Amino acid sequence: MESVVGAAGSIERAGARRRRLPRRAAAGYAFVAPALVFLVLFALGPFVFTVYVSLHDWNMLTPVETMPWRGLENYRYLLLEDPLFRETFRNTVAFAIANVLITSVLSLGLALLLNTQVRARSLWRAIFFLPYITSTIAVSIVWNNLYHPSYGLFNGVLGLLGLPGQRFTSSVEQAMPSMVAVAVWLGVGYYMILFLAGLQAIPLDIYEAATVDGANSWQRFRWMTLPLLRPTLLFVAVVSTLASLQIFDLPFVLTLQGGPVNATNTVVLYMYQTAFNFTRMGRATAMAVMLFLVIFLITLLQLRLLRERE
Amino acid sequence: MELEHTALSRRHFLGRLVVTGGMAVGASLLAACGQPSPPAAPTSAPAKPTAPVAAPTAAAAPTAAPAAAKPASGLKLTVLTHWGDQDQLTVLTPILQQYEQQTGVTIDHQTVAFDELLKRITTGRLGGPAPDIYHFYNLWMPDFVGSSLLQPPPTDVTADVKKSWSQGSVDGATYKDQIWGYPTEVNNYLLIYNKQLLQEAGVSKPPATLDELKEASIKATKKGADGKISQTGFLFLKGWDSGVVHPFTSLLWSNGGEYAAKDYSQVMFNQQPGLDIVSLETDIIKNGGADLGFQQADFVAGKAAMTIMANWWGAALRKGVPGGIQNVGVAPIPARAGGKSTPLQYNWLWGVDKNSKNSGEAWKFLQWLNSPQGSGSSPMGNYLTTGLNAIPSRTSDQQAHADVLNDAFVKPFVDALPNSRTEPIIPGAQEIKTSLQKQIEAAWFEQKEPKDALDTAAQDANRILKEKAQG
Repeated sequence: MESVVGAAGSIERAGARRRRLPRRAAAGYAFVAPALVFLVLFALGPFVFTVYVSLHDWNMLTPVETMPWRGLENYRYLLLEDPLFRETFRNTVAFAIANVLITSVLSLGLALLLNTQVRARSLWRAIFFLPYITSTIAVSIVWNNLYHPSYGLFNGVLGLLGLPGQRFTSSVEQAMPSMVAVAVWLGVGYYMILFLAGLQAIPLDIYEAATVDGANSWQRFRWMTLPLLRPTLLFVAVVSTLASLQIFDLPFVLTLQGGPVNATNTVVLYMYQTAFNFTRMGRATAMAVMLFLVIFLITLLQLRLLRERE
Repeated sequence: MELEHTALSRRHFLGRLVVTGGMAVGASLLAACGQPSPPAAPTSAPAKPTAPVAAPTAAAAPTAAPAAAKPASGLKLTVLTHWGDQDQLTVLTPILQQYEQQTGVTIDHQTVAFDELLKRITTGRLGGPAPDIYHFYNLWMPDFVGSSLLQPPPTDVTADVKKSWSQGSVDGATYKDQIWGYPTEVNNYLLIYNKQLLQEAGVSKPPATLDELKEASIKATKKGADGKISQTGFLFLKGWDSGVVHPFTSLLWSNGGEYAAKDYSQVMFNQQPGLDIVSLETDIIKNGGADLGFQQADFVAGKAAMTIMANWWGAALRKGVPGGIQNVGVAPIPARAGGKSTPLQYNWLWGVDKNSKNSGEAWKFLQWLNSPQGSGSSPMGNYLTTGLNAIPSRTSDQQAHADVLNDAFVKPFVDALPNSRTEPIIPGAQEIKTSLQKQIEAAWFEQKEPKDALDTAAQDANRILKEKAQG
């Protein structure tokens, strides 16, 4: 009898658990609902709409429901017939490679330096971080004057050193390196802080053990610091690549709409011009979708490469 | 286990970051459409009690704007302009308030920066009620008309525009043989020069021909001891489509060329007269008559001797040029020997949204705003001359403000209006203009030969025209 009662009790408890589970699940769903709603409204929804518009011809003046269907025509045009899209894509990739590499190396170097007992360490950190929190538009205007071929500061300094003056942003060849320099100056402090956080998370006793074993400073950096910094390196690589591939404000202001002669025009700037100056929203959204795919693939590749080494 | 858990979370986080970042590209583009930037200086007139007003949505042009001045209290008109600077509002707002007091109609004046205006208009219908009245650049008309954004004016408005505005301004407000609103400010391009710098260079009078332009540019360029150009003889504006293409078109017309065929089926700027102009410009640069590193601000700072620009620049020149505005001279666009100087002009105009529920009242307001009052000037004429420092396009306004327009800097622009031609208002004009700008710059920077550059721009333009013609 007891066993029957016991069995019945366990069935009841199991039933109660089954009844409770959905309530617990519902509570969980309720907790994530605001985030889900936010994600659907502001990320997934617009993204799906972007893909939908990219298959149409739309100037934003006519109702959405009357957009003429174009299928893959916008993609075909951009890939096969639009030399400017290819040029802006090349510019964007060149900018991203240069910016990510230089910024990563410089910011890591600065972080290593400021992770030692250097004097006025906090002040240096603040100084390097300041450009990151300065308005890019203001920075662009100031740098534009610094780069002025006639009375800019840089050519003044070059003149004092007996070196020939440069054209900087007024030259098709030098405009892109000049823009990369400003981007590096702007971003290096931020990534330096990330690397500093990573460095300070590495336990000191590991270094002490390595030193006891006779490892020199290069060996400690190569075989200990770098592997232990891999998560930070991965984060910096992904975040700076994302930001570089979406560069807009610097070419918009520093080099006056991606000039000279499109030398610094980027995909996002061209996308903006196509959407809002030429009112070709279908073509602009097709660019957005392609840029998304490129960013997606590059970042997956970065994750895979860095993960394989773990 | 703890480490594994951390690594997994990081991967998930980064994976999501990839997806979200990519989505952000598209989302930000769409968000920009749906959420127009806030006005640079929002200026709403004092709120008044509102009551629903039934007004027909006019699809075709009514025969007349509703006859005058019975107060229609409770009605609100939304007016969108790019006039948000405090100097401008100080003059414009009392004018709008005067109309409110006379009629009981509330004017909701919304302003955005010029760079945001087209975006605000195009996205206006997506994000709630669109404005009733727009003030817009005439180059946008083909897109607006093609998308049924604008309502044709009543016939009495059309008749008034034809009668009371110069032909150039009437042309500037016309597309497909239809006038689309009231022309407001008019701007044309002339040669602007620094008197002192030309004099120092031994150039006694501003260049009148294309050859003289090249010669004067070379003479007026100065180099420092280090060999660097410290003063440019001619200032080429770059990185800005109108700054490149408007001077080019003025020179093209003054050289006997055409921008496009009369039926707008193809462009013609790549023919010999256009090629001569781009070749002249590249010659000036190659021969040291211009340095492309100089910018608009350099003329204001007294480091450039000549440029081709529009009258609206006067306000900046008055504030900044060394020696004051009296040191700035204005001369006709240099023309081919024996040719006629033909500057480009462009207009702005008022138009009414086709879907406006208050279109009748909107036209009535615009009629009041643009019609002469007791002083002989329209309220718009008063605003344009005193608030905006611009040239009003209504002939009677030009007469009423002759004292202002007789200013030494402004008068040459007014005098040149009869010879000015309106910027070609063709479908895809903005896209064609940007493409031409980039190609001309490619020639300036020796990336392309002038012929190659112009042929590329023409090929691009003809493709755009064809696409637009096919709808």
